[in-house]
Amino acid sequence: MVGANKGIQIAAKAFAYIVLIIVVLCMLVPYLWMLSSSLKLNKDVFTFPMQWIPELPRWSNYQEIWTRIPLGTFIYNTAKLSIIVTALQILTSSFAAYAFSKLNFTGKKTLFLGYIATIAIPWQAYMVPQFIMMRSMGLNNTHLAIILLQAFSAFGVFLMRQFYQSIPDELCEAARIDGLSEYGIWARIMLPLSKPALSTLTIFTFVSTWNDFLGPMIYLTKTELKTIQIGLRMFISQYSAEYGLIMAASVVSIIPVLVVFLGLQKYFVQGVASSGIKG
Amino acid sequence: MRMRKWLGITLAAVLSLSMLAGCSGNSGGKNANATEPPASSNSENASNGSSGAPVTLKWALWDWEATAYYQPLIDAYKAKNPNVTIEYVDLGSTDYMTMLSTQLSGGADLDILTVKDIPGYANLVKQNHLEPLKKYMSEQSIDVSQYGGTVEQIQMNDEVYALPFRSDFWVIYYNKDLFDKAGVPYPTNDMTLEQYDELARKMTSGSGSDKVYGAHYHTWRSAVQLFGILDGQHTVVDGEYDFLKPTYERILKQQEDGIVMDYATLKTSSTHYSGVFYNNSVAMMNMGSWFIATQIEKVKSGESQATNWGIVKYPHPEGVEPGTTLGTITSLAVNKKSANKEAALDFLKFVTGEEGAAVIAATGTIPAIKNAEVVNSIASVDGFPADEASKEALTTVKTYLEMPLHEKSADIEVILNEAHDNIMTKNATIDKGLSDMKTRVQLILNN
Amino acid sequence: MQNETVIRNNTGTKSGLTKRLKDHLVAYSFIAPNFIGFAVFTLVPMVFALILAFVKWDGANPMEYVGMSNFIRLWKDPTFLRALWNTIIYTVGVVPLTMVCALGLAILLNQKIFGRNFMRTVFFFPYVASLVAVAAVWNFIFSPTMGPVNNILHALTGIPIEELPRWAADKDWAMFTVVLFTVWKNMGYYMVIYLAGLQGVNPELYEAAELDGANAWQRFRNVTIPQLAPTTFFVLMILIINSFKVYDIFINLFAGADNQLNDSTRVLVYQIYNTAFRSLDYGYASAMAIVLFLLVLGITLVQFQGEKKYGQ
Repeated sequence: MVGANKGIQIAAKAFAYIVLIIVVLCMLVPYLWMLSSSLKLNKDVFTFPMQWIPELPRWSNYQEIWTRIPLGTFIYNTAKLSIIVTALQILTSSFAAYAFSKLNFTGKKTLFLGYIATIAIPWQAYMVPQFIMMRSMGLNNTHLAIILLQAFSAFGVFLMRQFYQSIPDELCEAARIDGLSEYGIWARIMLPLSKPALSTLTIFTFVSTWNDFLGPMIYLTKTELKTIQIGLRMFISQYSAEYGLIMAASVVSIIPVLVVFLGLQKYFVQGVASSGIKG
Repeated sequence: MRMRKWLGITLAAVLSLSMLAGCSGNSGGKNANATEPPASSNSENASNGSSGAPVTLKWALWDWEATAYYQPLIDAYKAKNPNVTIEYVDLGSTDYMTMLSTQLSGGADLDILTVKDIPGYANLVKQNHLEPLKKYMSEQSIDVSQYGGTVEQIQMNDEVYALPFRSDFWVIYYNKDLFDKAGVPYPTNDMTLEQYDELARKMTSGSGSDKVYGAHYHTWRSAVQLFGILDGQHTVVDGEYDFLKPTYERILKQQEDGIVMDYATLKTSSTHYSGVFYNNSVAMMNMGSWFIATQIEKVKSGESQATNWGIVKYPHPEGVEPGTTLGTITSLAVNKKSANKEAALDFLKFVTGEEGAAVIAATGTIPAIKNAEVVNSIASVDGFPADEASKEALTTVKTYLEMPLHEKSADIEVILNEAHDNIMTKNATIDKGLSDMKTRVQLILNN
Repeated sequence: MQNETVIRNNTGTKSGLTKRLKDHLVAYSFIAPNFIGFAVFTLVPMVFALILAFVKWDGANPMEYVGMSNFIRLWKDPTFLRALWNTIIYTVGVVPLTMVCALGLAILLNQKIFGRNFMRTVFFFPYVASLVAVAAVWNFIFSPTMGPVNNILHALTGIPIEELPRWAADKDWAMFTVVLFTVWKNMGYYMVIYLAGLQGVNPELYEAAELDGANAWQRFRNVTIPQLAPTTFFVLMILIINSFKVYDIFINLFAGADNQLNDSTRVLVYQIYNTAFRSLDYGYASAMAIVLFLLVLGITLVQFQGEKKYGQ
């Protein structure tokens, strides 16, 4: 009986690994192709049959992307924006989410529902009024404009609130009896317990700011202010698109995001919230 | 309950405050416009501007990095007007007209506006963003006949709001090596559409990776549909589209017979027309004259393997004079709310005038003013095909704009593109696609 | 000042007043930093845009009040209805598939297995990569006659290549293709959310269930699912909203050189964008946005009720 169970377990595990490996391969194929295209001449990118290893790898593509456009400046700008936006987002979202999850006040439900529903309005529908307003505030062609647009989102509040929901209310009650203020509870109990959620929000905000295109396109028209996604599209011009360079620049632009993702992996540890109850 | 009310009041306050800010921003622009002195009395100042006070002009454009003539134009102008500084604002090519219109709605301080296409031009005029030019043109005695009839085609409400500086037209590019190999005589400057079809069939050979396609149509609507308007009998804004049927039948037949690449494959694989031409996989290709400069450059850099090439005039319907072709113009306009209108107008005059044309032609691009001098200048660019026919192909007799000016150009274009896509991907039969165009365009025209 | 007096009259005792008022102030102070920023920079223009639904405006010239006529037009506009229909089909396809894949991956990658961090990164990859690049790759791989997918299918099944689906180029397969692409691109994103949610599940609950003799499926059914309810609610809502708002994916996968979508791929936000910027009909575009907003609001309300019931 026990042996059979073990057999099933091993079989299940083997099956899981096979599934995972197949899925991993499916996920990786496009990247291998991207990598190989980044070493090709533009005209050879979309030729059949596919050539996985270029005959004459053009490493110069990786050189050219830095000289053809001010990629260094773009990366600096994007990094700056992403870091500031992420920091603000984390701070204000986790703060607001605490009230929505653990405090009682009039209008809580209505406000929260309204918050979520506004996520549904596509940006394209209000980008012109928003642009008119931001310009009248003198924020056109400033990084501040992008920061202000991205940093206060309903999405972050929603995400953090959902995670706080799974932290038992008793923890907060106990802390209140111990004389901790609400701010203290947020800082000393909620924040440490929500590391996985904070990491998630950090990754998401970082990625979305990093990959944002339309916002910077409209607000940042000076070359020295532009971001990496605008840079990528500079290789697509009216009459031609240089896919070799686009792929090379895409590969380069993924690296910082992966570093952030890998760096935050260690916070995805089981039982953070529950260990708090015991302690 | 109380708190909600309080919140409501705050919200309302914030809302009205920012609305006010928005409004005052807007009316500020309008005021500035109203208080400006009448332009006519000062128009002379701008042209002898070399002694004038420093002015900075902002020029909205796309593809700064990839366009050869922007910097030379600015340099040439600055040499004559050292007090003027020109800053460019690159809005990207993909959504250029949307970006431009958004910037202008927001009151951006752009002075000179590049107009990319006709529907976008019609929209800017409707939105009242462009300065009318007729008065200035008559004061400066700018002769519109030098633009070969294109200015007349962009008149709106009896006014002109932009002048072209670049004027591209469609020709046939062909690969001489492939013709030599097949032992077929080169295409000529006088081909009917049927002859073109025949030649394309003759030039198709091989299979697999050695396959040579006789012709190639890029995935733009204009590359296929507009053969139908060359006889001058119809336009695509009339609301009747039955006349396009023979064109679509011919091209879908070519597609079925493997004479040209499959539209759907081309579209989904993002295949660019330049790549297939460089790789010697197509014998002939209809494309705009903008490709001349690119092809020359890529032959030099070694990326284009179609080193032995030429151009001939666009094929034409039976009974239409050779040299009749499609065209597209790129023009300059001045922002109505510009604070430096006179200086901006002067720059516009320079770029769209003969001096600008010479600068543009020197980069291998075809300017709007296309006199013999300009044609010679382009034909003598290093790398341009040496045969007489290619040089002769640079002259045109009649150019129809890819999209004629119409109040509803933008809407109509969307419908035409969608229906075209449905026909070419065989999501709709030709009849269904054309009747779809008709119903939807009629709805717009009657609205 | 006025508010304070009113409250005093209502609550009576002074200590009750200050406590209540203080509690509220504390709560609002938590919300304020995010909400004020959100209200000023997003909500105000949003409300303004929604008001536009009742006017005719071209983005520059004076507006003209037209009442409900923009909304009436909507129901007679076949293009809009088609876009709405396509969007709904797309959402119905994407939401369940993504949820199942994301949850499955998250549970697998929450085990202590070999190469866990590597695999998590690989699954998150598609979400991070530039859409322009991955859409091009995807289309290339699925290209009808020359692409490897159809060539492999041909080799496996022996069906002639011409009779195989033409994927993105085929009106009957386009939606399937884009659903597949979306799931592929975004499942890593939702996997991360589920992973974060799984960290909040108390391991003692599993231990207790195991002691009670529950098998793996029962543990999943009775511990994991209820414990993940808030996360699932979040994933579901964001998935639905993002599917309704889809635009970039369709443009990059289907639009091609003319930047256009056809009948089988036209979606709501594309229609909004075109109406506003190509047709300069901001009012009509706003009316479409309101339809989208109301749809999502309705779904949110239903879900919200569901969450309350399920969460208990």
